[in-house]
Amino acid sequence: MNTILEIRNISKSFFKKTALDNVSLSVQKGEILGIMGPNGAGKTTLIRIINRIVAPDSGSVRFDGDLMVDRDLFHIGYLPEERGLYRNMTVEKHAMFLARLRGMSKLDAQTKIAYWFDRFDIDPWRKKRIEELSKGMAQKVQFICTVLHEPKLLILDEPFSGFDPVNVELIKKELIIMKSKGKTIMLSTHNMKSVEEICDRAVLINDAQKVAEGSISELREERKSGHYSVRFRGNMISFVNALWTGFELVDKKELGDDRYEVLLAMRGESTFDDLLSVLIGQVKIEAAWETLPSMQDVFIDLVQPEKTSEA
Amino acid sequence: MKNTLLIAMREFKERIGARSFILFSVLGPLLVLGLVYALFALGGQTKQHWNVLIADHGGLFENKIMAGEDKSVTYFFADGVIELDEFKDAKKYQKFDAMLEVNEKVLTNKTGFLFYRNKPSTRMQTRVQYHYERRLEEVLVERFTDMTLTKFRSIKQPIGVTFSDINDPDGEANDMTGWAGFFFGALIFLFIFLFGMTILRSVSREKSNRIVEVLLASVSPNQLMMGKIFGIGFAAFVQFFIWILIIGTGLYLMREHLFPDVLDAANMNVKQMILDANDTSYQEQFYAAREYNEFVNLVYDRIQFTNTLIFFFLFFVAGYFFYGAIFAAIGATMGSESDGQQFVIPIVIVLCLSLYAGYYTMNYPDTGMATLLHYIPFTSPVVVMVKLYQGYEPGHMYEIYLALIILIISAFVVLAIASRLYRNGILQFGHRVRLKHIFKWMKSS
Repeated sequence: MNTILEIRNISKSFFKKTALDNVSLSVQKGEILGIMGPNGAGKTTLIRIINRIVAPDSGSVRFDGDLMVDRDLFHIGYLPEERGLYRNMTVEKHAMFLARLRGMSKLDAQTKIAYWFDRFDIDPWRKKRIEELSKGMAQKVQFICTVLHEPKLLILDEPFSGFDPVNVELIKKELIIMKSKGKTIMLSTHNMKSVEEICDRAVLINDAQKVAEGSISELREERKSGHYSVRFRGNMISFVNALWTGFELVDKKELGDDRYEVLLAMRGESTFDDLLSVLIGQVKIEAAWETLPSMQDVFIDLVQPEKTSEA
Repeated sequence: MKNTLLIAMREFKERIGARSFILFSVLGPLLVLGLVYALFALGGQTKQHWNVLIADHGGLFENKIMAGEDKSVTYFFADGVIELDEFKDAKKYQKFDAMLEVNEKVLTNKTGFLFYRNKPSTRMQTRVQYHYERRLEEVLVERFTDMTLTKFRSIKQPIGVTFSDINDPDGEANDMTGWAGFFFGALIFLFIFLFGMTILRSVSREKSNRIVEVLLASVSPNQLMMGKIFGIGFAAFVQFFIWILIIGTGLYLMREHLFPDVLDAANMNVKQMILDANDTSYQEQFYAAREYNEFVNLVYDRIQFTNTLIFFFLFFVAGYFFYGAIFAAIGATMGSESDGQQFVIPIVIVLCLSLYAGYYTMNYPDTGMATLLHYIPFTSPVVVMVKLYQGYEPGHMYEIYLALIILIISAFVVLAIASRLYRNGILQFGHRVRLKHIFKWMKSS
């Protein structure tokens, strides 16, 4: 059994608004799964259902092969999008309180708190009240409180929103380390660059429904447009002349020192090999590759297909 | 259960660590003690002194009046007629606290008039009235009888009629004890309101700083709500315990060190004073002593602290859960803190009505309305306290248990409804609360 979480046909409505409509997906052990979708698509509702904060109208959630029960929450670490801390508690007491709520013994919690505080350099602040901390420091505390009990599954809702770039990198690094230790991570984010960088797979939810699921490379591959990029040194006029009728120049970028990076579209039956053969001898090719759409492009394509097709 | 306990402990520690908790724990009972002290001290003080100008232009009193041993009033006689405005404003009359008007009419209509600058205490009124009466007696005896004054006074038999309840012939319960009950009832509501508001603020703060979602990933909304109510309730209980400790110690110290003589039973024997006919100012002393001692007597002898504390505790706990659940539900359903303030108004009105219900019961204890208010869970904690002090009819003590059972059942019902509202409302942010939402949340499981 390699699936840690399986969501089957989940539906949920609030008053007259449908938040999730028959959504199914699975999360494999040891992977980082990105949940993408525009605001109001239903991502947070899905995450709340997994965390048993909200009950679904229909459908089921299975954890480690069995129907999920409250006890399973001890194996989940959850960092919500709207996260907060008790401002008048000290850092240490706050971490201890949340660790105990997650089922840790006092002794165990103390050991883990010491480890994580040391790792995130917040040991000198352990006796300070939360309100005395900088925002970045408070964000670190929030993250620590989420992972303190060493959950099998980590669910992060917009983990990078509000974090400064230094903390974003720190968190990314930690997530990759955790993955290497066999932990499973599920994160919902608008930060598409992060999805490309750290996620193995992604699920896209739009208008309460799942519209795509697959590995990052699959998703990008499926939406490639047949564009190629070439980086070269030489004369731009010679380059354009060499293209002749087989290729179309879509975009160009001057890199300086007679170096350029161009984006090309194939015409007719032209292939990548044809392109290379017409260019060799005209300019000095430094690199050439097939251009895949970014996750940002994939996202926009899936969410607003009519707009992208019009464009 | 463990998580409820963890939530409760966090709430409890936060409350007792707050400066306001410590201040209220110490200042509250000190204020009560201060009031008690002031009432004792005022009740026992004889220092108040009045200068009374007697405007007796007809010469009825012949410039004579016996204040006797009483040093608290000095009488002066005025020459001629003094207009009220003149007495009020003229510089030469400013040293007088009051003007007593005497004229021939008093012989027939037995009515005298006294104009004061500051309202006299009941005791001072009694004194002046007594002196006036005594002097009038002398005049009347002299003008209309052949008796000597001593003979007249030996015939005259002032009598004190004590009005007693047939169910309470010893007068254990009276207006004063009713007030004591009201005080305890009001105390319950003070604590319920203060700690109910604490629940509301705590819920709304968790909502506004968004910690609630982190918590809800570990505990159920019901556990969170119950933990909060228990934790804050326990803090209320601790505060209440501190109050009892400080007030109890204070009363003990007052009895032992500050007012040992007046609290001595031998000094409070009112009946002896009535019988002592040779004591010329017995009426006045009787009146003052009765007024004074009633309070002292009430505090030290008539308040059955053990009995009170048991029922106070039971009604406090049940009432706290009843109202606490309502406060928690308000906190959870509101979209913003200002919304919450708005929703607090009706509950404050209900709390005020409850206090009025207690006052009403004190004045009209045997009416149907008082009986109804005694059983309604919104008002029962304060009404029961008043009734407890007024005294239940023999064999009717079951009424108090019935009221308690109704309150406990209602608390459970309200907790169940509040739990649904809490569960459905706690993750709704920034919305406008509409009644249809509330009804829908109440219905959904």
